[in-house]
Amino acid sequence: MAVFEPEAEGIVLDAEETGGDIAGRSPWALAGRRLVRNKLALAALALFVLIVAISFAAPLYSKHVANTDPFESNISGTVTIDGKTEPVLQQGGGKLGLGETPIGPTWHSHYLLGADNQGRDVAARVLYGGRASLEIGLGSALLASFLAVVFGLVAGFFGGLTDTGISRLMDLIWAFPVYLLAISLATVLLTAPNGLNLGIFNVSASSLWIPLVIIGVIYVPYVFRPIRGQVLSLREREFVEAAIAQGASNFRLIFREILPNVASTVIVLLPLIIATTILTESALSYLSIGVQPPKASWGTIIEDGQALLYTRPTVAIAPGVMIVLTVLALNVLGDGLRDALDPRSKVRMK
Amino acid sequence: MATFAIRRALWLLVVLFAISVLVFLIFFATPGVDPARQMAGRNPSPETIKNIKHEFGLDRPLPVRYGLLMKHMFISRDLISYGSHTRVIPEVLSATPVTLSLVFGAAVIWVVFSILTGVAAAVFRGTVIDPILMILALIGISVPVFWLGEVVNLVTQSRLHNFFLFSWVPPLGYTPLTQDPLMWFEQLIFPWLTLSVLYIGFYARVLRANLIETENEDYIRTARAKGLSERRVLLRHTLRTSMITFVSLFGLDFGILVGGGALLTEVVFGLPGVGLLTYNSLTALDLPVIMTTVIYGAFFITLANALVDLLYAWLDPRVRPA
Amino acid sequence: MRSRSLFQLLTLIGLAALVLTACGGSSKKKSSASSSGNAGGTLMTVAKGAPSGSPDPQINYTLQEWQLLIITHDGLLGFKRASGTEGTKLVPDLATAIPKPQNGGKTFVFHIRKGIKFSDGKELKPSDVKYTFERLFKIGQSPNAGTWYNVIVGGDACVKTPATCDLSKGVIADDAAGTVTFHLTKGDPEFFDKLAVPFAFILPTGTPNKEVQLPPAGTGPYKFVQYNPNKQIKLVRNTNFKEWSKDAQPNGNPDVIIQKFGLSAEAEVTQVENGQADWVFDTPPSDRLNEISTKYADQVHVNPLTAVWYWAFNVRIPPFNNLQARQAVNFATDRNALVKIYGGPKLAVPTCQILPPNFPGYKPYCPYTKNPGSGKWTAPDMAKAKQLIAASGTKGASVKVNTDTVETDKALGLYFVGLLNKLGYKASLQALSPDIQYPYCQNSKNKVQFCWSSWYQDYPAASDFLNILLGCSSFIPNSNASPNIAEFCDKGIQAQMDAALQQGITDPSGANTKWQAIDKAVTDQAPWVALFNPKYIDFLSKRVKGYQFSPQWYFLLAQASVK
Repeated sequence: MAVFEPEAEGIVLDAEETGGDIAGRSPWALAGRRLVRNKLALAALALFVLIVAISFAAPLYSKHVANTDPFESNISGTVTIDGKTEPVLQQGGGKLGLGETPIGPTWHSHYLLGADNQGRDVAARVLYGGRASLEIGLGSALLASFLAVVFGLVAGFFGGLTDTGISRLMDLIWAFPVYLLAISLATVLLTAPNGLNLGIFNVSASSLWIPLVIIGVIYVPYVFRPIRGQVLSLREREFVEAAIAQGASNFRLIFREILPNVASTVIVLLPLIIATTILTESALSYLSIGVQPPKASWGTIIEDGQALLYTRPTVAIAPGVMIVLTVLALNVLGDGLRDALDPRSKVRMK
Repeated sequence: MATFAIRRALWLLVVLFAISVLVFLIFFATPGVDPARQMAGRNPSPETIKNIKHEFGLDRPLPVRYGLLMKHMFISRDLISYGSHTRVIPEVLSATPVTLSLVFGAAVIWVVFSILTGVAAAVFRGTVIDPILMILALIGISVPVFWLGEVVNLVTQSRLHNFFLFSWVPPLGYTPLTQDPLMWFEQLIFPWLTLSVLYIGFYARVLRANLIETENEDYIRTARAKGLSERRVLLRHTLRTSMITFVSLFGLDFGILVGGGALLTEVVFGLPGVGLLTYNSLTALDLPVIMTTVIYGAFFITLANALVDLLYAWLDPRVRPA
Repeated sequence: MRSRSLFQLLTLIGLAALVLTACGGSSKKKSSASSSGNAGGTLMTVAKGAPSGSPDPQINYTLQEWQLLIITHDGLLGFKRASGTEGTKLVPDLATAIPKPQNGGKTFVFHIRKGIKFSDGKELKPSDVKYTFERLFKIGQSPNAGTWYNVIVGGDACVKTPATCDLSKGVIADDAAGTVTFHLTKGDPEFFDKLAVPFAFILPTGTPNKEVQLPPAGTGPYKFVQYNPNKQIKLVRNTNFKEWSKDAQPNGNPDVIIQKFGLSAEAEVTQVENGQADWVFDTPPSDRLNEISTKYADQVHVNPLTAVWYWAFNVRIPPFNNLQARQAVNFATDRNALVKIYGGPKLAVPTCQILPPNFPGYKPYCPYTKNPGSGKWTAPDMAKAKQLIAASGTKGASVKVNTDTVETDKALGLYFVGLLNKLGYKASLQALSPDIQYPYCQNSKNKVQFCWSSWYQDYPAASDFLNILLGCSSFIPNSNASPNIAEFCDKGIQAQMDAALQQGITDPSGANTKWQAIDKAVTDQAPWVALFNPKYIDFLSKRVKGYQFSPQWYFLLAQASVK
């Protein structure tokens, strides 16, 4: 999806600030202050941190609270609630007794949100799924940003053929069918005898690195565009001209003049990018071409839940809610960061 | 300007070529892929497999195979699918109206509602309406579209199907407009709404941000100083400038969707459009259909890219060098 | 006086009317010629997609298309259109009688019925039979031309050079005498079965010798008028059809049969529930099963299939080249859990052996259970399994469990990953796309150790399971088409199979006793973990009457009625 280009130019006063407030403070400290004053953004940050925390506490939950291994099937298992013992998978009713339905939410520590088609604890899986989704989301966002900054700096600064070449490469990546790449790569890795061997790396088929790299690469053009645009306009600015007049090398120009300005753009964009990569990972996993079993992610659990939608919708709804909350928190945080670094776009009192 | 257009047109061809070659190589580099064996059924003799290989030109060297594929696709236009053994191009052509119905309907809804929401949020800045609308917009862009579609299906097809609000919802699928307009509409209304939720949220925010940013430009202040009413300022000056970004982004997204980007919506709602065709052909490893749908998609994405860049170049000479 | 004569007149008229309508009614019944329900209407069926593969009747190998081909075309022989064991019997179709074998089972003379017309009006002649069998080879893509029909004299040469196929020595058609004589290279106990499946259904002379997009004219009660793999298939009545054998090819009830494509399985079930579709080809999704068994139980029919789901060991590479290891896994497998994954005990029945129940040569046999002896599986024996693993010395080996990405198959795979880990192996899952998985497992180059598969009968013959899946000649090294996934080859057992095949030419029931012993011997060698025999669900709309399930063709579409 397309993105619009923010421009962080210079220092602007926020409505509640006075000249005295900002005197002597660096732009970053100012941004920090403004962010702290933004209650909504802080709440979003807290929510995000909470989600990350409970996802990484998944092993603790499944071991001590739910008493289950969320990756092993438990087809013939039973669960005891308030003294009553029930099978985890229950045979269908009626005259014909067709089908097996997993138990629904018990609202107790065991099978809090019920079981899935293989008798696994959904709540525990959702937490583990969060780990995978967040790791991939964060990792691919960082990868995409890093590559986009590198390419954006080079393309924007040197211009000419380099710029054309890189921009056209980005066009190509953007138009490339990501699903084909994902399917093919997944198959290559599944069928390679010992996973993929890249010299010192050995990547197994269910490694999270595969979706991470795929998503990271396909979003480079997405981040590249605004960065390149910004580098282009920064190049024309007076402080760059002044540095050139002083005899600064290209190296110095890029790293000491332009890069810091670009950095604020990336920081503002980062939550948005993470939100997008999380959504993309869930889409790929939903189509079975993202995270592979036995690992789980929110997207794979939604896919599991699809086959249970009519009888046990919790399995599909729970991970979806987690995605919405995480992505929402990231978006609100992203807004807050942008307002902190560039208050002009903030809500103003008339 | 003309040279710019010609250059981008040439670039379009280069992109299509590069992508088609990449797709081709990836396909045949995938281990276990053996179209002749796939087509030969469950217990074929080696001769059968050999004959099929020959029939479909799979025993020729790779570049020849690529050439044959392109020839069948563009020149003789009789490309045959590995899966159904029927022609691919009619298959794609019959899927196109479905995708277009989905995308056009959703686009109308999202454009109208995002403009209303974005303008309302900007106009009512400072009241409680602005943050509420923006939170709603944020929720819109935070919801995975396939999940939303599943939940919508759950509600309209199963849980609340007997409730008067949803009892008219037909089973999932697609009916051509020419065959039964009412059914066409009823089957598309929920896919339209689901697909547009994401875009309403996004475009409302973009529009609002642009409106506010433009507001601070000098020429707007001048207009106000001249004594123009707020509404006039908004509609004639700010909105028009903000629409530039809106329209360019819209162009890009629309291009992606027409090219098969609404795949997830089509999968969830069972609409036999180009996206679903792409996905099915990928999982079935049906190269002719994969190649056709990929080229189809890449064409629209790159075309939209070029048109938007053209628009920007026309409006802002600074950006032209690329 | 007058009133009485008026009364008599009226009575006479009434009686006459009654007689006339009775006569008219019964003659109407004769022309519809079916025992259940009334003729007319459109049978609306739905399927997710068109039958995969070419529409050509001599190429397509799917049940989905075979269910339609049996009512549009005929073979020399056919399987009786009946339910239960009656439906496994062969009856003469285009031939007047099943011929007696001559010349040690290598020669058969068929007399062709007179007066049968194709749907294009041409009359069926013996030379059409020769044309059909030559075309089977000439099109080059018929899956079983080289494995089933090469038993006809001249067949092997036709396989090598299809374009110049000449069966003048193997299929001798005499139009004047109305006979077709087949010469085989050797006795084949399954030759009649092979004549009764759609690959051998007779097509008119002149049908192009390359793959067609619409099945050509046939002799059955219906004909294909539309075959659009993205939209639908449409069959209408063949007006040139006159029923000649109720057993082989009864007239059909509906006037039109349609199969529409494009919907998801969920939507299809909803359509049947709403009466917008009469029958769904696909299996109802697992989360609707409870719904249809409670609310729509009268519209659901469940029938056992002569099919088996199994996991094949690779008996030539470690760790499962060790018999004790294979037996251990068999003992440890909880087949009840696997049945649950499939959909519950009403949809699948656990098994330990190769042949399915109600199959020629079947005798219940299950050694891999607690308290064996009854022939039925009851419970896993984990203790015995652990013993055997220890004795085998294969503990700690790493195993890749290979399956495809279909939900149920993946779930079965995950079960085995857990089981093998419990037994002390290091197991991991390898789930491939369904279009790759089957040939991938078959190719010995890929060194697959443990692979999911299933097998559904072609026709009721024990060798269709035992010889094709576990016979020595069915293992072709480094080939994507090697149906013996287990790579099993036991010389002693193979000799028994060859003897049984030979005996089957003249003494089928004696041969079946031999097959029983072979089934037992193979099961003892544990080349597989046999899981269960699945059942088939037919979900019909309220208005469908006259449902019949044939073990060979499943739901007999044309015998149902919608009026």
